[in-house]
Amino acid sequence: MSLKPNDIATLVELFNTSGWEEMHVEIDGLQLFISKDPKARLVGGLGGGTTMAPPIAPPVARAAAPVATAVAEPADGDIPAHWLKVCAPNLGTFYRSPKPGAAPFVSVGDRVTAEAEVCLLEVMKLYTAVKAGVTGIVRRVGVEDGSLVEHDTVLFYIEPA
Amino acid sequence: MRILRTAHRLGIETVLGVSAADRETLGAKMAGRVVVLGPAPSKFSYLNANLVVHAAKATGCDALHPGYGFLSEKAELAQLCEGEGIAFVGPRAATIAALGDKLSARAIAAAAGVPIVPGTDCIETLQAARAAASQLGYPVVMKASAGGGGRGMFKATCAEDLTASFDRASLEAESAFGDRRLYMERFVERARHVEVQVVGDGEGNVVHFGERDCSVQRRYQKLIEEAPATALPGHVRDKLHAAAVRLIAEARYRNAGTVEFLYDVDREDVYFIEVNSRIQVEHPVSEEVTGHDLIACQLRVAGGEGLGLTQSDIQVRGHAIEVRINAEDPRAGFAPSPGRITRWAPPVGPGIRLDTHAGQDYLVPPYYDSMIGKLIVHGATRAEALSRLQAAIAGFTLEGVRHTLPLAAFIAGHADFQANRFTTRWLEDTGLPAFAASPAA
Repeated sequence: MSLKPNDIATLVELFNTSGWEEMHVEIDGLQLFISKDPKARLVGGLGGGTTMAPPIAPPVARAAAPVATAVAEPADGDIPAHWLKVCAPNLGTFYRSPKPGAAPFVSVGDRVTAEAEVCLLEVMKLYTAVKAGVTGIVRRVGVEDGSLVEHDTVLFYIEPA
Repeated sequence: MRILRTAHRLGIETVLGVSAADRETLGAKMAGRVVVLGPAPSKFSYLNANLVVHAAKATGCDALHPGYGFLSEKAELAQLCEGEGIAFVGPRAATIAALGDKLSARAIAAAAGVPIVPGTDCIETLQAARAAASQLGYPVVMKASAGGGGRGMFKATCAEDLTASFDRASLEAESAFGDRRLYMERFVERARHVEVQVVGDGEGNVVHFGERDCSVQRRYQKLIEEAPATALPGHVRDKLHAAAVRLIAEARYRNAGTVEFLYDVDREDVYFIEVNSRIQVEHPVSEEVTGHDLIACQLRVAGGEGLGLTQSDIQVRGHAIEVRINAEDPRAGFAPSPGRITRWAPPVGPGIRLDTHAGQDYLVPPYYDSMIGKLIVHGATRAEALSRLQAAIAGFTLEGVRHTLPLAAFIAGHADFQANRFTTRWLEDTGLPAFAASPAA
């Protein structure tokens, strides 16, 4: 049995919606460990030489909780591996400013806290603020202001600091 | 996928809204464009009407097809589409709301002269319920006005039963549907579930595509459907079609719908139950016997082109049977059985149709309805369709998840099913116990 990227996404979704605190899956030598505790480490550790992905951030308020995950693979070319993604919790139109003409919530180089509001997502005239979910420096804006974003689209990259 | 296939055949561009769990499904691969609405749990994706309409609007869709699950029968979705100038492939929001409420649907049926199960209007007190029950004659069934699909129903065989179930029924109606209004109907002991496929143009013009018999049910969930309903005497069938058409014309219903009836086997009479204001899972059996693409009819009506056909264009030929393939274990209380399909080799041959989004290595996700496909067979007669069904199931290799095909094979081979001698109680009272006692293959 071979594990596909979609299977991992499914497992993570399942974990996120479950009441579980930790999940440890081992298939064909591949080990996956997910925990809602940021300090959690797999007891006994993973096999020698394996790099362990940091645990995913605990889902904050479900309504607009961005799931900040470490960039696991060297995707997007020049994105350093330790930058964290702020992803869209659902589909919507992405707005960087609280209203047209106003200054954006955040710009590249700004320092944000986990609670900082970084953008708005509009769904049928209903605007929801998205929080950074991590503390750090905004390094990149993932999408154009005013564009349609899908669930899980990377909105910002933040360098933890 | 069923809808995408017809849309593509008609040269219509498509956008499919999916949840994160479905972004790599066959449907997603087939669609012109895919947008991920939200995470896997349907509450945050498929059940959020605002998300769905926002996605349609932002991607420039002219029309929105709601499918047959999730929001397809919610007036809210139709309403939002109306507000945004998007053609909803279904009835008007007001029609969905009027037919979705059982009491209001009964009133429309009565106005159209459609027979309804003898029953009452809204009942508010136990006293009124007891009076009504003694007038109707036991057994009776209490139903939630906002209910449907078998939920929110309580049967009472005597006055003591009624006392016990009245409060429970109204409490459950309140908690399940947010509406505690109840009404009462006489309980039909031996019934078959028959339904008429209709399409209306919204102006009172209606055509029907014959009837289906969906009496093989477990907990009001249909497992096997067939067309036509050969157990009906000819005069009952004519009455059934006429009643469905009158009701749909009276409601000035737009697009495809199903008018469901109870056939009282002992009285040889039909009674209106409810209207399903959407295309249904079992629509393929009607397509097979009439040769018409019902999704194409839906798109034509939604595009403002009217019905495009008259009743004389619709002829029923032969017999079709559909079995639902659910990823559930029929030997373990129908427990869901998500997982990866390790072997998938469906049957091929004349008269065999398979509607499915599954395939080799497909991962059945744990989030949604467990249906992974529908096997449909067509033959010149019911007997021919039935033997094709048995051969098709026997030739279907499906491993990796537990599924309902072994049960379907058992039913297809049962003398009662072969003789077309069953009611809506048959599967639970006779079929399942016999299946449980049979050796596992």
